[in-house]
Amino acid sequence: MSLTDKLRLSGPPRRHQILPGFGLTMGYTVTYLGLIVLIPLAAAFLSAAHLPLAEWFRVLMTPRVLAAFRLSILASLAAALINAVFGLLIAWVLTRYDFPGRRLLDALVDLPFALPTAVAGIALTTLYAPNGWLGQILAPLGIHVAFTPLGVVIALTFIGLPFVVRTVQPVLADLDQDLERAAETLGARPTRVFRRVIFPVLLPALITGSALAFSRALGEYGSVIFIAGNIPLVSEIVPLVIMTKLEQFQYVEAAVIAVTMLLLSFAMMFVVNAAQLALQRRHLGKR
Amino acid sequence: MSIRIEQLTKLYQGTPVVNDVTLEIRTGEFFVLLGPSGSGKSTLLRALAGLTHVDHGRISLHERDVTELPARVRGVGLVFQHYALFRHMTVAENIEFALRVRRMRAAARRQRRQELLQLVALEGYDERYPSQLSGGQQQRVAVARALAHEPAVLLLDEPFGALDAKIRVELRDTVRAVQRRLGMTTILVTHDQEEAFSLADRIGVMQMGRLLETGSPESLYRFPATRFVARFLGAANLFLGRISPDGLQLGSALLAPDSAAMPAAPGTEAVFVVRPEDVELGATDGAAPQQQFAHGTVRSLTFAGHQQHVNIELDPHSKVHPAIGDGRGESDSDGVGVSVDALRSAAEQDAAPLAVGAHVNLGVRRLHALPTPISSFRVIASTAAQAEALEANPLLAQLVRSMQARVIRRVGGESTPERLDAGICVLPLTPGTADAVKSAIALGARRILCLPMHGALPARMLVHARDPQQRGPLLALVSSVMRHLPVEAIAVTLQRSDASRTEVVETQRTMLDTSADLRGAHGLDLRGERFVGDLPAWLARVCAQPEPALVVLGLKSSQPELDAALRGELAVLFGKHSYAPVLFAVDTQP
Repeated sequence: MSLTDKLRLSGPPRRHQILPGFGLTMGYTVTYLGLIVLIPLAAAFLSAAHLPLAEWFRVLMTPRVLAAFRLSILASLAAALINAVFGLLIAWVLTRYDFPGRRLLDALVDLPFALPTAVAGIALTTLYAPNGWLGQILAPLGIHVAFTPLGVVIALTFIGLPFVVRTVQPVLADLDQDLERAAETLGARPTRVFRRVIFPVLLPALITGSALAFSRALGEYGSVIFIAGNIPLVSEIVPLVIMTKLEQFQYVEAAVIAVTMLLLSFAMMFVVNAAQLALQRRHLGKR
Repeated sequence: MSIRIEQLTKLYQGTPVVNDVTLEIRTGEFFVLLGPSGSGKSTLLRALAGLTHVDHGRISLHERDVTELPARVRGVGLVFQHYALFRHMTVAENIEFALRVRRMRAAARRQRRQELLQLVALEGYDERYPSQLSGGQQQRVAVARALAHEPAVLLLDEPFGALDAKIRVELRDTVRAVQRRLGMTTILVTHDQEEAFSLADRIGVMQMGRLLETGSPESLYRFPATRFVARFLGAANLFLGRISPDGLQLGSALLAPDSAAMPAAPGTEAVFVVRPEDVELGATDGAAPQQQFAHGTVRSLTFAGHQQHVNIELDPHSKVHPAIGDGRGESDSDGVGVSVDALRSAAEQDAAPLAVGAHVNLGVRRLHALPTPISSFRVIASTAAQAEALEANPLLAQLVRSMQARVIRRVGGESTPERLDAGICVLPLTPGTADAVKSAIALGARRILCLPMHGALPARMLVHARDPQQRGPLLALVSSVMRHLPVEAIAVTLQRSDASRTEVVETQRTMLDTSADLRGAHGLDLRGERFVGDLPAWLARVCAQPEPALVVLGLKSSQPELDAALRGELAVLFGKHSYAPVLFAVDTQP
C-alpha cells in the first residue's frame, strides 16, 4: 500500500459537498484574487519600491500632500462617525418598526451604492453651492458647505451610509428581543437596556460597518471632487493629488502617495480587525 | 392571594388571543398554564410580566394593581425558553444585573450571587461566559438571574423546551426544589402535560385564548369538564352515551352509575370519558369483565416498557358511538370501526396474554360523564348539498373543530323522525326556519343553532335571556359555546325607552345578576350591555349590522307561547335579509 493510500484511508471520510472539489474552487479563488486584487497592487508597489527613503520623504513632506492626507483622513473619520450614529438609527427604525413605506425607505439606503458617484457629487454641489437650494439658506448663517472641508465630509457621509446600515441591520434583526424583555423585568430602564444589553451586541457590527465606510471614504474620488472645489491646502483630497500628479506625468510621485495611502488603509484594516477579534473573544468566552 | 387576574383580554389585530381570563393564584402556589401552541398562554404570562399591553382587565400582584405599571417595577422574575442570557457578560455579571440596577454594593452583590449559584448548583461558574455552558447550565443561570432581585412571583415561559429529555427532568427537579425552598409563587407555561403533572399544584388549561378549566392535576385528569381537556391531559376514549334513570347507557350495556358523575338530567345524551387504563379486557371464553360494554378485536399491541398499549376495534353490533368526529358529517352508522385504546399493566399481561386478532370483551372500571350540554351536532337539512354547506359554515366548523365534537347528518324527511333531545340541532336559516324550529322542538330538541348558508365567523356573541327563569340553561349553553369560540361575549339587557327609575334599576340588577350567575356557575366572565328599546328593535339592529354576531336566546317550548314568539318578536331573525346565526336554548318546563 502506498503512502498516499494510507493517508487517504486514515483521513476523515470525505463529506459530500455541492460545489466541485476543493482543488478547483481554491485554484479559482487564488487566481481570481491574484488577477483582480494583488497584481494591480503589486504594480503600484513596484513602481514606488525602488525609490530611496529620502525620495519618499521628499514627495510626502510637501505641505500640499500633507494637507491632503490630513483632510482625507479627518474627513473620512468624521464621515464614518456620523454614519455610525445615524446608520445605527436608520437600521433600528428599519428593523424595529413596521410602517407604510418601510420597504421603499429600505431600498433608498442602497441608493449611494447604485448612483454613479459623479452624479452624486454634482447633485450635492448644486444643492450646497451658495446659490443652490440649501446653500442659499446656509450661506447667510455663515455656513459654507461647497468648496470647503465641510462639503468633503458631507459627500463622504453620503457614500458611506449604506455600509453601516447594511452591516448593523442583520445583527439587529437577529437580536433576540427576549434579551431586552429580560433586562426590563430585571428592573433596567430603557437607556440602560440599550447601553448594557443591546449596544454591546451591536458593537462589532457597528465597528465593521464604520470601518468599511471609512475605507470607502478614504478612496472616494467621484463624489468629492465636485463639491470640494479642490483648493490646494484647503479642500484637496489625496486621490485628487494622485490624479493631478498623474496628469503632470509625475508617475513616481503618484505611486509613492498611492502606496502610502495603501499602507495607511492596510494599517487601519488591521487595527479594526484586531479590535474586532478582541471584542469577540470577550463576548464569546474562550473561543 | 398572590396573583389576581380579572377579565384579562388581549387583542391581536382585532381577535382576542387572551380572552376574558380570570384567575387567582395563592401565595407559594406552583401554577402551570398548559395549552397547545397558539393558545395564548405565553401572551398571558407576558401580560403578567408587563411586557405586553392588555386591552381589558386588571392584574394585581400581592394586592397591588400593576395593570398600568411597566415591567421594570412589577417585581417579577421571568425565565425564557431560549435562556435570553446576556452573552457578553459572565455568569456573575448576568446574575448581578438586577442588583447593579438597584445600586447594591459590590460585597452584598457577591454574597447574593453566591447564594443563588448555590441554589441552582452552579458554584464556581462565576467567571464563565454563557457560550461556555451547556443548555441546562445556561437555564440554571437564567433562573438564578430571575431570582436575584427577590421577585414577588417567578414566571417561567416554556423553560425546558430547548433542552433534551434527561436534562429536562433534572432541571425540572431543580426548579421544583428551588420553588419549594423559597415558597415562591410560580407560574410555568408549557405544552407538555407530563411536565405539568410533575410540577403543578394546580393546572390551568388554555385553548384559543380561553382558560378552559383549572384544578389540581388529579381532578383535571379524573373529572375533566370539556372534551378538549379530557384529550389534552393524557389519552382518552370518548363515547356518546345516554344517562338513564337506571344508570349510564353505553352502547347496548347499562352501567352502574357513578355517583360523582351525574352532570345532566336523566334521559339526556352525554359524553363519557374512559381512560385507557380503565378499559378492562377479558378473553371471550374467560370470565366476563365487570361492567362489560362491548366486544372487539385486537388490532395492535405496542410494547411500552411497564405497560402495553392495546388498540381494539369494536364489533359493529356493540352500538357504541364515538363522541369525537373527524369534523365532517356522517350518518349514524352503528359503531363501525370504532377504535378503543386500552393500557394493560404487566400483571394483566401475564394473567391473560393477548395476540393481534384475538376477540375480547371490554369492560370499564371507571367512567366520567362530561358536564357539557353539547354532546354532538345534528345537522338537519333537506338535501345533502345543504347539509354540506351548513357544515362548511365557519361558525359550525370552528365549534366542531375546537370541541372535537361529532357531527351527525340527517338529510331529508326521514320516515321515522327520531327524537332530537341530544346535543345541538343545526338548521339552515331560511324563510321556513320558524316552522323547522317548531317541529324540532316538538321532537324534543333542546338546543337549536340556525345558521345562514353563507357566513363569516362572528366576532361577538350576544346573549339575551327573554325571561329570568331561562337564565340557568341559557348560561350553561353559553358557557359551553363561549369556551370554544374566539368571540367577545356580551349579555344584553333590554330597557324600554320610557322606562321608569325602578325599571332602570331592575335592568341594571339583571345585568349584574347574569354576570354573577355565569361567573359563579361556570367561572366565565360576560360583559354587560344595555339596549334601549324592545326585542324586535334590538334584533333588527343586530341583523342589520355588517359584522355578523351570534345571537343566543332563550325559548319556551309550550305551544302558544312558542308560536307567538316565532311569528312575532323573533320573526325578524328569519327574514329574507337576515344573516345572523342564532342559537336557541329551549326551556322545556311548562
